[in-house]
Amino acid sequence: MGRSAIILGSGAGGSVAAWALATAGFDVLILEKGRNLLPGLGTAGPIGSLFGNDEVKAGRFFENQDIVLEPRTARTQSEAEQGVARSFVGDVNTLPTVVGGGTIHWDAKTPRFWRQDFKGRSLYGPVPDANVADWPLTYDDLAPFYDEIEQRLGVQGDLTQMPAATLAQAPRSGPFPMPPNPPMYGGSLLAEGARRLGYTAYPFPMAVNSTAYDGRPRCNSCGFCSGYGCPINARGGAAVSFLHHALLAGAHLTARAFVYQVNVKRSRVTGVSYLDESGRQRGAQADVVILAPSAIETARLLLLSADADHPAGLGNRSGQLGRNLMFHFFTIAGGVFNADVHAWRGPSTTFTIDDFVGPVANPAAAAAGLPYLKGGICEVGGSFLLLGEAETYAAIPNSWGKQHKDLMRAGLVRRHVAGLSMVGEDLPQLANRVDLDPDLRDVYGFPVPRITHSAHRFELAASAYFGPQLGAVCQAAPGALTSFVLPVATLTEATGPGGPFAGIASTAHIMGTARMGDDPDTSVVDAFGRVHELDNLYVADGSVFVSAGGFNPTLTIMALSLRMARHLAGT
Amino acid sequence: MADGFGRRSFLRAAGALGLLALAPPRRLQALLGSAPGPAESGHFLDAHELDTLRAVTARFIPGPPDDPDPGALEAGVAEAIDLLLGAFTLDPTLIHAGGPFSDRAGATHDDFADFVPLDAHAELGWRIRLEGSQGLPEREFAGPVTGLQEIYRAGLAHLDERSQQAFGVDFKDAPGPAQGLLLSDQTDADLQTFVGAALANTLEAMYGPPEYGGNRSLAGWGYTRWQGDLQPRGSTDAEVSTPGPDTGSITGAMLDDLQRFLPALIGQRASRTQFWLGRSGIPRS
Repeated sequence: MGRSAIILGSGAGGSVAAWALATAGFDVLILEKGRNLLPGLGTAGPIGSLFGNDEVKAGRFFENQDIVLEPRTARTQSEAEQGVARSFVGDVNTLPTVVGGGTIHWDAKTPRFWRQDFKGRSLYGPVPDANVADWPLTYDDLAPFYDEIEQRLGVQGDLTQMPAATLAQAPRSGPFPMPPNPPMYGGSLLAEGARRLGYTAYPFPMAVNSTAYDGRPRCNSCGFCSGYGCPINARGGAAVSFLHHALLAGAHLTARAFVYQVNVKRSRVTGVSYLDESGRQRGAQADVVILAPSAIETARLLLLSADADHPAGLGNRSGQLGRNLMFHFFTIAGGVFNADVHAWRGPSTTFTIDDFVGPVANPAAAAAGLPYLKGGICEVGGSFLLLGEAETYAAIPNSWGKQHKDLMRAGLVRRHVAGLSMVGEDLPQLANRVDLDPDLRDVYGFPVPRITHSAHRFELAASAYFGPQLGAVCQAAPGALTSFVLPVATLTEATGPGGPFAGIASTAHIMGTARMGDDPDTSVVDAFGRVHELDNLYVADGSVFVSAGGFNPTLTIMALSLRMARHLAGT
Repeated sequence: MADGFGRRSFLRAAGALGLLALAPPRRLQALLGSAPGPAESGHFLDAHELDTLRAVTARFIPGPPDDPDPGALEAGVAEAIDLLLGAFTLDPTLIHAGGPFSDRAGATHDDFADFVPLDAHAELGWRIRLEGSQGLPEREFAGPVTGLQEIYRAGLAHLDERSQQAFGVDFKDAPGPAQGLLLSDQTDADLQTFVGAALANTLEAMYGPPEYGGNRSLAGWGYTRWQGDLQPRGSTDAEVSTPGPDTGSITGAMLDDLQRFLPALIGQRASRTQFWLGRSGIPRS
């Protein structure tokens, strides 16, 4: 066909688009800000990995965005109202900046969104002080793309164990490509606790190979999973499942390319300007430009690309660009066991519970002045590795010394605690937004993204309501000596992005800064991700989400990107 | 299975991408084998500073006679921190160990020892983090940054100053309990900046892979009964799905510790505000 596309970012959205367009005959160029740490990617040989079971490297910006070079700034809504420019500089929900993007070290959990997530406004009405809206598409529009993504990623799961309520909300056309991994022991205990209370825990759908798949080996449960690049590529993801095949189909990848501007002529995008690895300014032209650098960076780039015709930023005629930023809102509970439950050993978690997704319209909601509450999916059975455990104990001032060593010797948290984490849905708010920091610049010389964010009372009330239920699950588990609830996102709300739980509450789920909709006056992109006011500029990352759902977002990002690419290709 | 991802095919693939010039492990062995002893200078710290840092790390993770198991001194923690501080005087630069496997879990070659070279972008980040921005415009795009080298140099000198004032001797010569008293002074913000950095680096060097120069004789993985890196062997299905060997070891005192520990965390600010430290918690999917 001779059409060309430039894709920004090689993560979940970008790699899926690259694969779908390259295999449809497009001339595809992927510009990625990070470097490639998977030798052999896109070649006929095996895909290698420079990742290892190494907690030190993971904490040293090996794949993560280096916050010294590219800091972000943050403030609360009330600080913004008082004119405070920023109250925090550093890591604000950064994602890996590397070929493969966030999925290079994701937890690979792949729940689907539910029917109700796409039609929340119609089904349940407005919520005070929130910007709740319907998506311009339905679950059924997305379902065939969920199917196809699951096949290519290699998702494991067990249809027969899924709750009827889940299948009614997210019906499936068939079983999963692979059976579940061996169940993790600590998770099994919590799953039994859930069963005793009338809840249903079932094998968590995830893009982890339980059998050899797509030329990649079976997962061997080394335990260095969420937050760690897979040393053996047993985990599916953007790079190994899509980008690899896109490159084999002829797509081109340029690493260490920082795009600072989308170039526009009237209503058409002509291409992009970027800095190459040696800092030289370069340009690239194409028929179509697709943005997938994740929701914070997409908003930032569209703001940076403002020109005389688009003074408030590209695609911002509605004033919605950068707004409705959503992160999810985690609540954690844990059980303490006399058994050695080694809840670190395995692919982070192997069970999930959907019983807290909601909505529930009850007195707890009414007390908060809300029509309903929603929680989210639960990741059942996680824990810490060794260095993570050591740093957790060390968060208490003066906790070093003999007492720290005693805790490490006992391995209390690492061996005897199994945790449970609820991926709480957060509501879109106009005041939760990304804009350009007025003063701080990054290493490339451009204003850094500034995040203004405060939780809605919806999230706080839901965490307070569901938290004790999560704790009860842990307490009901066989052999549980005691249980606890840590509302980590609520605590972070109180202590700020520098607080002790900021790391645990940091979700890497970033959604909503360029929401999709049919009405150009209230949304940034259309139902296929095309920026309303431009003919050939598309967004293919979490920016386009209208609601956050109570579910890990990556599978939905991929399905939306595939739907967009097929629309573009006319196939 | 491991052979499919083994060193040879990996190197071939790496070469094809023009990506890497791996540092030979022999050089790492030479580097780690020549670690400075007491009263000897390190790669960044001078002899007195290194001895002082040894004393600090020994308070953080005590060994014999205060504790039956090896501590920071025995594990070479201070020497490993000196390797980090002096990273840009070393070859290889010990920032990011290689992958995918060490030779501890079934592989024949230690890929971890093949440290991954920093490219120009990553090097700038680590130079700023270690050396500070030093007034250089190309390092001060987001404002001045105090480097770890300066934090250590100033912090160790400040400890001596405080120790001389309080006890009339340098920190390293003060009795252990006196050292502990000084390090725990939460009213001294400058001191706590140093303590935050040194404690984070101590934990890394004690409990991280030994290729970084610490965790000698796998001391940090011994008393914690930690398997360390598990690839390419991984876990058996039975290891995943049945209880581990420590079953039955929980005591009432440990539960008391936990009960104290959890509430104590609430409302306390940790070192994450000091963004040069770098660790950002637990990334999620």
